[in-house]
Amino acid sequence: MRSALVIVGLHLFAQMFLWAQDPEEVFARANGFYQQNKFAEAREAYESLVRNGYESGALYYNLGNAWYRTGNVAQAILSYERGVRLAPNDDDLQHNLQLANLMTTDRIEPAPRLFVWDYWDGFKGAFSATTILWTTYVFFLLLFASLNLFVVGRSYAVRKSAVIFAGSAGLLFFFFLVVCVNRISDLARDDQAIVVTEIAIVKNSPDAKSTDAFVLHSGVKVQITDRVSEWVKIRLADGKVGWMEGSAAEVI
Amino acid sequence: MRHLWIVLMAAVAFGWAPLLAQEAVFEASVSRNPVSAGEQFELSFALTNAGIGGGKNLRTPDFSSFSILSGPNQSTSMQFINGSVSSSVTYSYVLQPKDVGKFTIAAASVEAGGKTLTTEPIVVEVIKGSLGTPKKQPTVANDLNVQIGENLFLKAVVDKVHVIRGEQINLTFKLYMRVSVQNYSIDQNPTLIGFWSEEAENPRNVSLTTETINGKQYRVGVIRRLALFPTQSGTLEISPMEVQTVVQVQDKRLYDPFESFFRDPFGRTVNYKVRSEPLRITVDPLPAGAPLSFKGAVGRLAMSAKVDKQTTKTNEPISLKVTIAGTGNIKVLESPPVEFPVDFESYSPKVAENISRQGDVISGNKTFEYLLIPRYPGNKTIKPIVFSYFDLDKREYVSLSSPQIDLVVEQVAPGVGGSLVAVASREGVQMLSQDIRFIKVAGVALSRRGEQSYASPLFIGMVLLPVVGLVGALLFVRRREGELRDVAGYRNKRALRVAREGLKKARQLLGSDDKTLLFYTEVSGAIWKYLGDKLGIQQAEMSVERALGQIQARGVNGGLAGSLQSLLEECEMAKFAPTSLEGAAKQKTYDEAERIIVELERVLRSK
Repeated sequence: MRSALVIVGLHLFAQMFLWAQDPEEVFARANGFYQQNKFAEAREAYESLVRNGYESGALYYNLGNAWYRTGNVAQAILSYERGVRLAPNDDDLQHNLQLANLMTTDRIEPAPRLFVWDYWDGFKGAFSATTILWTTYVFFLLLFASLNLFVVGRSYAVRKSAVIFAGSAGLLFFFFLVVCVNRISDLARDDQAIVVTEIAIVKNSPDAKSTDAFVLHSGVKVQITDRVSEWVKIRLADGKVGWMEGSAAEVI
Repeated sequence: MRHLWIVLMAAVAFGWAPLLAQEAVFEASVSRNPVSAGEQFELSFALTNAGIGGGKNLRTPDFSSFSILSGPNQSTSMQFINGSVSSSVTYSYVLQPKDVGKFTIAAASVEAGGKTLTTEPIVVEVIKGSLGTPKKQPTVANDLNVQIGENLFLKAVVDKVHVIRGEQINLTFKLYMRVSVQNYSIDQNPTLIGFWSEEAENPRNVSLTTETINGKQYRVGVIRRLALFPTQSGTLEISPMEVQTVVQVQDKRLYDPFESFFRDPFGRTVNYKVRSEPLRITVDPLPAGAPLSFKGAVGRLAMSAKVDKQTTKTNEPISLKVTIAGTGNIKVLESPPVEFPVDFESYSPKVAENISRQGDVISGNKTFEYLLIPRYPGNKTIKPIVFSYFDLDKREYVSLSSPQIDLVVEQVAPGVGGSLVAVASREGVQMLSQDIRFIKVAGVALSRRGEQSYASPLFIGMVLLPVVGLVGALLFVRRREGELRDVAGYRNKRALRVAREGLKKARQLLGSDDKTLLFYTEVSGAIWKYLGDKLGIQQAEMSVERALGQIQARGVNGGLAGSLQSLLEECEMAKFAPTSLEGAAKQKTYDEAERIIVELERVLRSK
C-alpha cells in the first residue's frame, strides 16, 4: 500500500517535473527513452506532450512507433493516422501506417476511386497547411492590388492590364482557397475513427438486441456517418454499413 | 434353288400334273392386332401361287415405328389339293412396337409372273398396358397362362392412398400363390418418382400366410416392404414391379404316352414373370402457416443440442452436437440454422444418421456435429437453436427450441492474441519482413493544438486590409469623378494653380526683350483666367468692371481692387505700346501680378 502510494507520488512528481520543462526537451527525453528501447516510458512521455496540447506529424509518428513497439497496433494506427492529418505526404508515416495496417486482422478492400482524387490529395498534402494558407493570402493580395489599380487607373492600357492581372490572380486565389479550406477541414474533421477494442460487433441497427451485421477487429479505419446516443453508424472503405458502440472506436 | 428342286420332284412324283398357274396373290398379315406396348408380333408377307419363278424384287415398307427383332425370314410351303398344287412363299418379320398408338404398315410389293403385286396396308394398334404376358414362346406361354393364370400373381399394397406430404406410406409387395413357386427374383424395381424410399426390413425367408380371394385360398408371401415418404404433392404413381418366378407345373398334356414316360413325376419347372399393378397415391401439400424454421421435416421429432465443454481457451475447438430423433422422414432432415458467436470460426457440420427399420415406422436420429474454434476470449453465447416440424398426430407445425448455451473462452497466453496474426496479401508478405522506420529526432517543430493562424486577429486584419484599401480607392475615385462633374468647383479649386502656371510662363519671358508683348499677354491672361475660374465667369463675358464688382462683392477691399485695376490697365497699355517699357518695369509688373493673385486667393478662399 505504501509502495503504491510512493509510486503514485513519484509519478505525479515526474509529471510536474516534466511540465516544468520546455516541450522540446520532453520530446528529446522521449526520443532518448525510445533509443534505449524503453518504449513504454517513451510512449508515456510522447503522450504527455499530446495531453498538454502539443502536436506535430513527427510527434504522432514517434508516438505511433512507441505504441507499435509495445504491441498495440490499433493505437499505433490511430497515432499514425493523426500524424498523417498533419503531414499527409510524409513517407515514413505512410510506410509505418501501411505496415501497421498489415498487422490487423481485417482485410478491407477499399472501393476504387477516380485517379484524379489521388492527384488532388497528393497536391493538397504536398505543402503544410500554413504554406497553403500564406500562398492563398498572397494571391488574395495580388487580386486586390490589381482591383485597386483597375479602379484608380485612368488610362485604358493600365486598366486593361489590371483586368488581366486581376483575372489570373483571382483564378489562382480561388483555387488555393479551395485547397486551403479543404485542407483545414481535413484537419478539423472528426468523422473518421479507428477500432480500438480487440473485437467490435457491428449491428444492423443501434440496439444491442439487433442482429449482427459483421465483426471488426482492432485497427480498422471506419467512417462515422451518424451518431445515436452511444451508438455510431459506420461505413467501411468497401462500403459496408452498420452500427457499433461508440466506445469501440476512437476518433482520429 | 432348293425350292426349285422340290417343285421339280413334286412334278415328277405326281405325274406331269399341270403346274397351272393360278392367279398369284400377295398378302400381308400380322399375328395379332391390337398389340400391347412392348409385345412382339409377327408380320408376314405371303406370296401364293407365284409359280416356279417365285417372287423377285421384294420391296418391304418402312418399319420405323417398330423395332425389327428378326427377319426377314423366308419359308416356303406347298399344298396339293385335288391334284392341283399351290405353293406359297412367306417373308416374315418379328416386330416390337416402339410406342403406343395406331401405326400403318404400308404396302409391300413383289414382282411375280411379270406382274407387280402389292399388299394392302395394315393398321396396327398398339395399346398401353398388358394384354397378357408377352409370349416369347407363344404356345408354351399360352399353355402356362392357362395353367398358372390366376394361380400366381403379384400384388402391391399400400396402407394409405391419401397422405400429407412427408407422411410415411408402407408399400408391400405380396406374392399370391396357388402353385408351387420354387424361387423368385426381382426383375424390375418399381420406379418411385417423388418419393424418398427406405427399404424396410426384408426377411430372407418369406413366411407364408393364407388369404382367400374369390373363394380361392392362396398362400401369400410378403416379398418386399418399402417405407415411402412423398417429397412432392399431387398424384404420384408407383410403377409396377416385375418378379421372375420359377414355378413347378403339372404337365397336363397326357396325350403323348411316349413323352409322358420321360416326364418328371413332380411336374416340370418353368420361368414365369409376374407384375404388380401400378398404384396411385394422392399427396396433399402441407398446410399453410409454416414457421420460418420449417424445412420439410414431418413426423414426431425431438431435438437436443449440447457442447462437449463449456469452458475453453482461444483457438481450442469446441464441438456442438445437434441431434434430432424420432419417427418421420429423418433422412431428408436439414440442419437447423445455428447462430454462432460472430467471432467463432465454424465449419459445415458433420452429419451422421442412424435409421431403424424395425416395425412399420421408420425411426432414428440424425446428428449434426459442428466444429467451432473461438478466436477471441470472452463470454460467448450460442443462441437457442430453433427447429420446426409438422406433427402428424396434432396436424400442426411444432417448433422446438434448445436452451441457450453459454460458453467461456479464456485467453491462451496474454500478448499472443490472434489479433497480431497477420494474414497478409502477396505484396504484404514482402513488407512484413520489414520493420517500422525509426522515430524522427531532428528538425521537429511542435505546435500548440487548436492554434489556427487563420483565426488570429492579425490574420483577420491582414485579410481586411486589402478590402479596406479597395473601398478607399473606390471612394477616392468617386470623389474625383464628382469634382470633374462640378466644373465650377473644379475651376475654383484649380484657379491658383492655373494662374501660377501662366505666371511661370511669363517669368520665363522676363529676360528676353524681344518678347515683351508676349510677356504682358501671359500675365494678363493668367490674371483673367484666375478671375474667370474663381468667379465662375466665361472669358467671353469677362470685363474689368464686372470682375471688380464681383471681387468687391466677395469682400476684397478697395485697395486690392484698385491695384488689380491698375495692373490690368498697365498690361493693356503695354500690349499696345510695348517698346516704351524697360526690363525693370516688367519685373515690377510680374511681382505685382503675383502679389495680387496671392492676396486675392487669400481673401476668396476664406469665403
